[in-house]
Amino acid sequence: MYFLNLSLLQFLAVFGSLSAISVAIYLLDRSRRKQIVSTLRFWVAAEQPAVAARRKHIQQPWSLILQLLSMALLLLAIAQLRLGTPARAGRDHVIILETSAWMAARSGKTTLMELARDRARRYLHALPSRDRVMLVRADAMATPATAFEPDRRKVETAIQSSEPGATALNLDQALAFARHVQSQEGGRAGEIAFVGSGRTIERDPENAAATPRNLRVLLVSDPVENAGLRKIGMRRSATDPDLWEIYISTHNYGTRPRDVTLAIDFGPPGANGRIPAGSQHLTLPAGADKEASFEYRTSSAGILRVNLTPHDAFPADDYAELELPAQPMLPVTVYSNEPELLRPVLSATPRVAAVYRKPAEYKAGDKGLVILDRFIPPQPPTADSIWIDPPAKGSPIPVRTVVENEAFQGWDAGHPASAGLRTKDFKLERTSVFDPAPTDGRIGEVMQGPVIVSRPGKPKIVVLGFHPVLSGMRYELATPLLFANLLRWISPEIFRRWEVAGGSVGTVKLVMDQDVAEKDVKVTTQDGSPLPFTIHDRALNFFSGTPGSVRVAAGDREYLYSLTLPQLWDAKWEPPADAQKTIPKFPPVFESASDLWPWLAVAGAAGLLAEWILFGRFRRIAGISRPVLLRRKATVPLEVRR
Amino acid sequence: MASAPLLDREFLEKLERLTIHWQKSFAGLVGGHNMSRFAGAGQEFLDHRNFHHGDDLRAVNWRAFLRLEKLFLKMFQVEPRVPVRMLLDMSDSMMAYGGQKFDYARKLAASLCYVGLVRLDSIEVHGFSSRLSPRIFSTGGRHRFPGVMDSLKALTAAGATDYLSMVREFIGTYSHRGLVIIISDFLDDNGCERALQYLSDFGHELMLVQVWADEDRTPPWTGELELRDAETGAGLKLDFDDAARERYTRAFDEYCSIIQTLAMRSGGRYAGVASSQTLESVIFGDLVRVKGIA
Repeated sequence: MYFLNLSLLQFLAVFGSLSAISVAIYLLDRSRRKQIVSTLRFWVAAEQPAVAARRKHIQQPWSLILQLLSMALLLLAIAQLRLGTPARAGRDHVIILETSAWMAARSGKTTLMELARDRARRYLHALPSRDRVMLVRADAMATPATAFEPDRRKVETAIQSSEPGATALNLDQALAFARHVQSQEGGRAGEIAFVGSGRTIERDPENAAATPRNLRVLLVSDPVENAGLRKIGMRRSATDPDLWEIYISTHNYGTRPRDVTLAIDFGPPGANGRIPAGSQHLTLPAGADKEASFEYRTSSAGILRVNLTPHDAFPADDYAELELPAQPMLPVTVYSNEPELLRPVLSATPRVAAVYRKPAEYKAGDKGLVILDRFIPPQPPTADSIWIDPPAKGSPIPVRTVVENEAFQGWDAGHPASAGLRTKDFKLERTSVFDPAPTDGRIGEVMQGPVIVSRPGKPKIVVLGFHPVLSGMRYELATPLLFANLLRWISPEIFRRWEVAGGSVGTVKLVMDQDVAEKDVKVTTQDGSPLPFTIHDRALNFFSGTPGSVRVAAGDREYLYSLTLPQLWDAKWEPPADAQKTIPKFPPVFESASDLWPWLAVAGAAGLLAEWILFGRFRRIAGISRPVLLRRKATVPLEVRR
Repeated sequence: MASAPLLDREFLEKLERLTIHWQKSFAGLVGGHNMSRFAGAGQEFLDHRNFHHGDDLRAVNWRAFLRLEKLFLKMFQVEPRVPVRMLLDMSDSMMAYGGQKFDYARKLAASLCYVGLVRLDSIEVHGFSSRLSPRIFSTGGRHRFPGVMDSLKALTAAGATDYLSMVREFIGTYSHRGLVIIISDFLDDNGCERALQYLSDFGHELMLVQVWADEDRTPPWTGELELRDAETGAGLKLDFDDAARERYTRAFDEYCSIIQTLAMRSGGRYAGVASSQTLESVIFGDLVRVKGIA
């Protein structure tokens, strides 16, 4: 006799806890007999002070015994008490079927996955019919495909539907998971059978799980020569924003050097309209990395494809696509009678496309940014705007006063538009001093108040109380920097720096700049849903289990990861020498163990039902509790009363 | 499936020799023994009147019809008789301990009704708790008994006892004095003594039948008890032992003595019965002994 689901210790612990709770409830709730009586008047006469230290008594011991017995029966049913010996009962086996990306490699006319499926099926058929089997698919994460199933057809169907994934094998996690489910199930543990190539990610010898003693290794032979793309990085040149610098890392997983051609092309999505962008011939040494770099000039968006030829038995890592974002331009409309004053400061910024118009040509619906030079339009612009020395009547921010020959006091270091601005002492011949709202930014000030004010919101507004080119500031280096800062503050997306990377699915690590705050970091998938990430010591880590694009926004930088390459192995696992390595032949077993749990469950439920009927609350409230019925015969003759 | 009758035929046959008795003489009423409603000797001719559709043809003066070819109806002067009224307690306290008191009281009421029907007496039965329930009129001979028994069986107990308001309503409803049979446990938190005295002072003759369950008089429980009043819902927690039980029974008996004294003092009768007693022993023993029936 033995338990299938619980150990004896677990059973005793659970039953002990339930019994304690039940007895406590009896002592607390049922120790005082509840009784409905005709009247309380005679009871009041008979009342006596309650004894303070009176011991609790269980008033309905048979009810308690019946409850405990019923609970014990139900618990035995849950524990699956069985007659017979555990040695003759079935065992619980776990088949770990490797579904890493590498299993898609071809070996001869078939793939490694098909070979692994075939071996798993043969192992399944060799197991005794009483045994239960769980199938676990293992790549970067171990995923159970079935529960412990006695039905072989279900497990076989799960084996047949197993396909290679996109990540590499994490063997330690798969073995730990298999051991865990075997110990949790409570039955007799069978074997853990690993079926696959055994090529795994780099294992940490300290953290690597100890090899289980019940391990059986059914390795699939994989004499595959493979070379493939490992990593691709792209960024815009610091000197030329239209120039992309491309770095490509390749790896030869084989045992022989290989001559390959690395080619890139660019164009819209799809096969048509693509333009070759460069190619290089490489000789890849065996088991080593090789890098190549390209440059490609474009400001438009598109798809960059990287192709490694000739293809080999594992073509999935010979090809990658990266999505390049467009280089956006900021349209600026300048309304001025003296456009030559502003032309130098605007032409210094390459991502600005400026158009100069007379104030008489003003249109309120201009897009992008509108600069109004000493001019009040009949209707305010709907787009973001910079107002330079506006007349006091009509200024978007009220003018408090006008001062002359006033020394410039300084910049607000906390405002992003003042970043990096330094000026020597200079005087403003004439400037308007504004009366800003509490939410407005005070970029530059004289003694009487702010002379450069920014108003956040939509649209954004910046007002300068003086013309920088016509004032004492015209010889300062801060003048073009101030305009550059204002443009960045108004349209930060125009100045965002892009980095594009191609790589494999799995864990991605990114070292961020020092000035990026953690709260400004966002990681999203290509459909816009957020992806969990961690930041530790400026290093951002996230995991993507499926191929696709991931965007990381960190301050003024944006990283675009095209994770389309499969994650490949780092090392070949050598199974322990004492592990079984062949399809087993199990001796036939006798069907000696039998299930008792249905009968135990029925008996337990019947016991609880009987307890409820005989001693339940409704019976006590109705006032015909069992003890009363038993004592009814003790009646008192009338003569006694008279 | 039809439910079992309150009383079986064998027991009813035993009741046929009994008569309900009262002792008082009521002014203007015939008393001291039973009078038949249809006996000719006791009814005197009063007058004739014109026959109307629906009148009893047996009272038609056929001689006058033969002579005058018109229908005339003979009118008799009915002798006033002592009214017998029965009050049956239907409060929640009667339902305590499984409703045994209420069942017993209904059977007792049915037995007395049958005794009255056999002697062609009319008995008006009311249930009560804080108010009187609609009247059940028991009259017309023994063949009317099944209807009376069904009406008694259909009564359900509910509500708290309030003797004072019930007696006020009773006196307001019935101005003629007579015999009042009260079958009850007489457990009213406000006390029933004053109300019963009021009834007696009004001129009614009281026959009090107190019904109690064994648990009412001698509670079988010991230990820590949490009690709840069946009528008011009030609670009481106490420790109960043999000494407390003796005090309880003593208090109960004292209360019964008060009820008995009240009945005897006003010329009435009192019988205390336990629901564990057989109905036969109560009818032929206790009630005969107190001369409630003979």
